[in-house]
Amino acid sequence: MSQQISKNLDINVHHITRVEGHGNIAVNVTNGKIEKLQWQVPEAPRFFEAMVRGHNYQDIQLIASRICGICSITHSFAATKAIESAMGLEVSQQADKIRVLMHYSEQLQSHSLHIGYLAAPDFFGAPSVVPLVAKAADVVKTIVKIHRTADEWSDLIAGRTTHPVTIIPGGLTRIPTEKQFCQLQQNLKDTIQDLKKIAEAVLSVADNLPKFERPTEYVSLKQTDPPTYTFYHGGITSTDINGKILPIEKWHEVANEYIVEQSTAKWAKWNRDAYAVGALARFNNNAELLSHSAKEAAKTFGLQKGCCNPFMNTVAQLVECFHVVETSIAMIDELLTKGLKDEKVTSSPKAGKGTGCVEAPRGILFHEYEFDKNGNCVAADMCIPTNQNHANIQKDFEKLLPEILDEEENQIRLKLEMLVRAYDPCISCSTHFLDVQFIR
Amino acid sequence: MTNQTQKKDTVVIGLGNPLLSDEGIGVCLAEQLSQRQSEFPLVDFVDAGSAGLNLLHLIANRKKAVIIDCAKMGTQPGTIRRFTPDDVQSVKKLNQYSLHEADILQVVKLSQQLGECPREIAFFGIEPESLQPGRELSESLSAKINAFIEIIEKELR
Repeated sequence: MSQQISKNLDINVHHITRVEGHGNIAVNVTNGKIEKLQWQVPEAPRFFEAMVRGHNYQDIQLIASRICGICSITHSFAATKAIESAMGLEVSQQADKIRVLMHYSEQLQSHSLHIGYLAAPDFFGAPSVVPLVAKAADVVKTIVKIHRTADEWSDLIAGRTTHPVTIIPGGLTRIPTEKQFCQLQQNLKDTIQDLKKIAEAVLSVADNLPKFERPTEYVSLKQTDPPTYTFYHGGITSTDINGKILPIEKWHEVANEYIVEQSTAKWAKWNRDAYAVGALARFNNNAELLSHSAKEAAKTFGLQKGCCNPFMNTVAQLVECFHVVETSIAMIDELLTKGLKDEKVTSSPKAGKGTGCVEAPRGILFHEYEFDKNGNCVAADMCIPTNQNHANIQKDFEKLLPEILDEEENQIRLKLEMLVRAYDPCISCSTHFLDVQFIR
Repeated sequence: MTNQTQKKDTVVIGLGNPLLSDEGIGVCLAEQLSQRQSEFPLVDFVDAGSAGLNLLHLIANRKKAVIIDCAKMGTQPGTIRRFTPDDVQSVKKLNQYSLHEADILQVVKLSQQLGECPREIAFFGIEPESLQPGRELSESLSAKINAFIEIIEKELR
């Protein structure tokens, strides 16, 4: 019976829910023949690159921080690192370490949000997180607690939960006190226990993750000096280049952005016809450098280097939550042992071009700027992680659909939607306006 | 703007993106009101930007939340309207939970389910004229800033 139903399919998901922004899935199957299968992005471009042109280097971060409501710290760092490269500015070890801590807070914010509010309903068979409260109250409450801790962590170091204000070219405008760091450290110790609860809950429904594999090129940052599971430093690597590292300035040779008819967002390809970025990419390139509890979590889920099941990206995000929390606990110890210093940051403009590259929660992000001698921006270029994943989502669709064609239409639709959600795409940055009808 | 660690009874949250003209009206008004923090010792003013689901934590366990946002209400640009979650339904029924377009009404519902929702929530929706890329408000809105502030102030007294 199910086979017969699936011979003709007309799936038009317009727009897919529980992703950030608008993306469509279009499927047309006639008599078992796939006639149309597309991952479409219809969003209008936002022109952020044009918006920063003409602005002084000291204002760029504040603009970049508004690009995204989820990855605002990441965009701020990509911009600031590009500026520091262009102006030849050095950042102190202390500021560098605190910046990494700040960046970790955003990884926890974003990952816990994706795992808990966006992906969990799929795992537990609920349409959204609101009805999930009735179905799995403890899980939702624990994830809310983790997400809240991450928010407060960002608020403490970045000066605001979203859109950071403490990052400036050359360092930070202010840092937390020793007492505040101690409180944060205690909260993070509690978070490890909460993460264990979430890992158990996800593990109990892990069978709901489709068993699908497609050999894929995974691209991420890699840092060897010192060897670190990096989100912030290092160069570009891929699972296709045998551990080699390219300087971040060569990102154009990696992304090779191009335009396709089905999408207003650019696509990317490097050594194959598509590549993937994000938690699973970082894991596949750097897993041996994870913290102890993160390695344990990966082991529990059977997640190993070389995994090419995109649905496991959500599990890789959970593994990374353990890593950023556990590593941060140790980093706070290091900072406090050395003693916090009050550092003054100064900078002066100079003509130049610079690239900044960091890992957003959903993958590698590139910013590039050129400045005139007064430090005013004359050119800007940005390449966001989700755009680097679009082609890969399409290629996954092309392998997945024939494998599940004999399933019920609703199941096919759900699996295609889950696949897109697994990439945690961030399509429409930074608009959210209310759209309401009055009912009384 | 205040640090959220020490929570006050009332929170005024400005939402929006000041890079997209009138989309930033909520942020602009929260920023202006925060300049007068000393007049409102029991109020936190927060520029939450495109905070999405972080809103859940900003309103948690407060007595009152006042949320200022750009809103398409089918009225004239520059119209300000006060409403509560019960007064409206979201047009974005398809977006069960998308972040940058986080359906604020869904966040309120989740907050209620978690038993931490403020007793009183007031939205101030302001009809935009332009949502085009740009850091300036449209003429229709910038001419009315003082009037908007006066109306929201009354809510806090």
